[in-house]
Formats: sequence, structure tokens, C-alpha cells
Amino acid sequence: MDKRESMWDVYLRKGMSRRSFVKSCVALTSLMGLSTDHVSKVVEAAEKKPLPVVVWIHGHECTGCDESFIRSGAPLASDLVLSQIALEYDHLLSAASGEPFEAHLEETIKKYKGQYILCVEGAVCTKDNGVYCMSGGKPFIETLQHAAHNAAAVIAYGTCAVSGGIQAAKPNPTGSAGIAHFAGKTPVINVPGCPPIPEVMTGVVMHVALFGTVPPLDNEGRPKQFYGNRIHDTCYRRPFFDAGMFAERFDDAGAKAGWCLYKLGCRGPETYNSCGNLRWFQGMSYPIQSGAPCIGCSNAHFWEEDPMTTRMPEYGPLGNVDKIGAAMAVGTAAGVAVHGAMSVIQKQKREAEEHEKE
Amino acid sequence: MKQVVRREYYLFSPWLRIFHWIMVVSICVLFATGLMITSPWIIYSAEPTFSGMTVDNIRNIHFLAAYLFSAAFILKIYGFIINPGDRLFPHVWKGYFYSNTVDVALHYMFLRSEHASYLRNPLARCSYAFLYVLVFIEILTGFGIYYMTDPFGIGGTLFGWVITVLGGEMMAHLVHHYVAWAIILFAIGHLYMVIRAEFMEGESEVSSMFSGSKILAHEPRDAGHLDGTLK
Repeated sequence: MDKRESMWDVYLRKGMSRRSFVKSCVALTSLMGLSTDHVSKVVEAAEKKPLPVVVWIHGHECTGCDESFIRSGAPLASDLVLSQIALEYDHLLSAASGEPFEAHLEETIKKYKGQYILCVEGAVCTKDNGVYCMSGGKPFIETLQHAAHNAAAVIAYGTCAVSGGIQAAKPNPTGSAGIAHFAGKTPVINVPGCPPIPEVMTGVVMHVALFGTVPPLDNEGRPKQFYGNRIHDTCYRRPFFDAGMFAERFDDAGAKAGWCLYKLGCRGPETYNSCGNLRWFQGMSYPIQSGAPCIGCSNAHFWEEDPMTTRMPEYGPLGNVDKIGAAMAVGTAAGVAVHGAMSVIQKQKREAEEHEKE
Repeated sequence: MKQVVRREYYLFSPWLRIFHWIMVVSICVLFATGLMITSPWIIYSAEPTFSGMTVDNIRNIHFLAAYLFSAAFILKIYGFIINPGDRLFPHVWKGYFYSNTVDVALHYMFLRSEHASYLRNPLARCSYAFLYVLVFIEILTGFGIYYMTDPFGIGGTLFGWVITVLGGEMMAHLVHHYVAWAIILFAIGHLYMVIRAEFMEGESEVSSMFSGSKILAHEPRDAGHLDGTLK
């Protein structure tokens, strides 16, 4: 494999038409959040750039991100894996296994040093030298560091890889953490979500693949085009919020009528994701549309912010904040009243003493 | 009939007084609308969109009051620059500040029958510093939450770090709400202390926030602040 194929070469080899190639490029352009002006650049890149080598590894997680990924509709996950990237190693999708497979990983890292994209799903286990997450006889933390330091870019897929995920929940017995600190100088793209939206996953890897650059990121290292809006601000139920029409219980008339789920603990006002505009599974639905309040799965620590069906005032580590506040206000007022009464007594006493002196 | 000689000390510039009353009104509005945003009312009697008290309107009132409040700090800062009486920092870098604090604290704990006369007593100065800390937390978290509708705009860039520091917007909401209650607790104490001073000492504590002047029977220990003679 001396000359690496480009996406166009693959299409030619498979006998697919120029038309379907250009269609794929247009789909990719819009998916990556680029303007239509960029179609020509995408086509050029897809013609000339060799398919990006991708290594995909898994740490502490449930592989739900892969479940999401294989449901990508545009581009189809199968298209992506078979003709748009060169997936050299994947714990879950690869047919090979055992010793030769691990040897192939080493070979890939050596051969494409500094060129391949490393996709990481799952948290890295840091406690006790990482023995709680082993793969191929080695702690995952070693595999990760080795693969990440030699990669062109690291994509952290899912909230586990970004900020530790469920296994990092208190008391976090395995010391699970996000992968960003273990990537060395390699740029890390955070794609949080539990799981991330399929099209977001494919869109991010294609951006790196076609342009060879990291997409524009926000201050938490997330691609702006997918994590630039709050779900609350893109939610189709927002007008109900603005009008003050809320579901109060999961079985009331408001819930049935599809009113705002704010009072049922919806985390939409704190969550940045594309659920509101891209939605899931080719725009079919998303949690709020199906009547479940957002749990904020793309936020770091969302798993600690339970119960997920309450917001303030009920939500919070100390209980109902408004009740606490009102109780403290009453207490303060009572204290002040007592102090006032005692001050009056003190003053009368003082004046009586002064009077005696006179 | 008792004859007492009282002297008038001009203390608060109009800028501080206007700022103070804007602060009073906007804190009341912000607190009330804040509670309504946290747990919105449901209007069953009429079509919600025609009720006028929609969450949308309440939020807009909250934001308007927040901007007004923040902008009013310009008045406070201007007063601070032009008028020494407006400078109400606790003078923690001065030795006499501590002895005066003990003096006032002992009186408030009923261990001393009265405290010396001050234009601004050291405990009051401390409580204002505390209030400003609370208010700045509210401004930072409030604008942090507010501007994150556009995280990459000017507002998002200026205040977005607050969310990062607090470790998430849920925490920012929580802090914003708890500190709001803390401000209310301050207000109760503040209201009590000024009314108490007015009733007990007759030191025109309440009216000074309208007239700007205090009328004192005793020479206040910190009178030198006004003309810069107290170092």
C-alpha cells in the first residue's frame, strides 16, 4: 500500500458514478456546517487527499457511542467506514482479533506516525496504574498515551472520553477521567454527548479528514458548529416556555399537549448540543420531542446533577433553596426583632443611669 | 425639653443616593422576577399568551432591571471619585479601624452601653463590602448565564469564563439563586440597622439617604475622612 487512495479513487474502484460522489460531497459540506461556497473545496479535498487513516479505541464505557455512530444517516456509517476513511483499527467494528490485531495497531501507529486520526471513546482509568481497564493485556491508559502522542489529532467521542462519564460518578473508584490530559501536545476535539448525535460524530471526523485541520472549537474544545447553541434556544417547545405553558407532571394535560418540560427538570437551558436543530436519526425526533426532559448528557458532571426531573427550587444539594431562603429570612427577621427589643431595654437603662447622675 | 447641639455633616453625594435607590428598586424587581423565572406561574384562567405575565415578559423585566442595576454603578463610581463621603470601604489597612470595630461590636452585643459616634461605623462599612461581593457574584453569574445564548459573541467572551470556573451552568444557576437570597438577608439586616440607628440615636440615618447629610450630636471619630485630615 504505497499510494494511498483518495475518496474519489475508492468511488472509481467501486464503479460508483461521479454524480453520487458529488452528491456525497454536498451532503458532507452541509453536515460539517460549511456554506455551499465550500462545496468545491470539499470536492477537491475528496479527490486529492488520501483517505485519512483512523484508529478507533475504546476505554471505560458502554460502547453506546458506536451504537449511535452506526445509525448515522448522512453520510451512512457504512459509507464512511468503507469508502471515506481508512479505518485501520477499531476495538468494536474490526473482524480481526488477538495477537495479529494488536500487532497491526503497532504497525499502523509506526507507519502513519503523526498522520492518523485517533478516535477515543470512553474514559481513561487512572487509579492503580489503570488496571481497571485493560485491553490486549495492557492498561488502556498506556494504549491511549502511545496512540495519542503519535496522532495528528484526537477526537474524544462521548461524555466519557470528554469528562469521565458515568464511571467517574462519585466516589469514582477507578479514578476515571476525560482523555484530554493524556494526549500530550496532540490537539483534542471534544464531542460530548451520551451518546453524541450520529451525524455530529461523522461530521467531525470528516472535517478533520478532508481539511486536515481541527474544526473551530469553543472554550471547552467542542466544535462550534455543533455545540454553539443551547438546546433551550433551538427547542421547538420554546414558545411554550415563553408563554408560560408547562407540563407539571408526566401524566397531566400539559405533558400530553406537548408543553414545555422546564418544570419537569429539563436541562435544555444549560445544555449545548445539536438536538434542537439536527435532531436524531435523520431528524426523526429527540428526547424533548418524545416527551422526556433533556438530561444534559453533553455536559460534564451531568450524572451528578440528579434528580434529573427537578430543577430549582427543589433541585440542589441542600434541598429546596426557596424554602431554605424563606426560613433564613424569617429567622433573620426574628433575630432582628429580638435585637431591637433588647436595644430598647438597653437604651432605657442607659438613660435611667444618666438621669440618676444628673 | 432637652436642648442638644447637633452639627450637620454632608456625606452622600446625589450620585450615591440615586444609585442607592435604583439599587433598592432593581433588587426588589430582580428578586421577585427571579423567583418567578425559577418556578413560573401557570395561568389557567386565560389563554397564556394574552395574560401579559408570560415567562417571556418576566424574563425581559428581569434582564431590563439587571441592565439598569449594572449601569447604575456608573453613578456610584462617579460619586466615589468626586466626593470623599461616598467612599465607604472598610479601612482594614488602618489601625484604628480594628479598635473601632471592637467598640461597635461590643455595643451591638449589649456588652457596652453605647458606641462612639461615626459617620460610617466600621461594621457598616464591612457589610457594604460584603454586599458588593454578593452583587458582583450576581452580576457575573447572571450575565454569564444570559450571554451564553451566543457563547462566541462579545458578552459570551466577557462572561463565559464564569461558567467554566463554576464547572457548569447548573452550578451557575444554583449560585445565582443562593446569592440572591443572601442579598435579601442582607437587606433585612440593613433595614433594621438604619431604622435602629434612627430611633436609638436620632442620627438621621434614614433621612441621610435622601438629604445626603447626617446631623450628629457628638463629633464623629471619622469626621476627618470628609476633609482628608484623618489619616
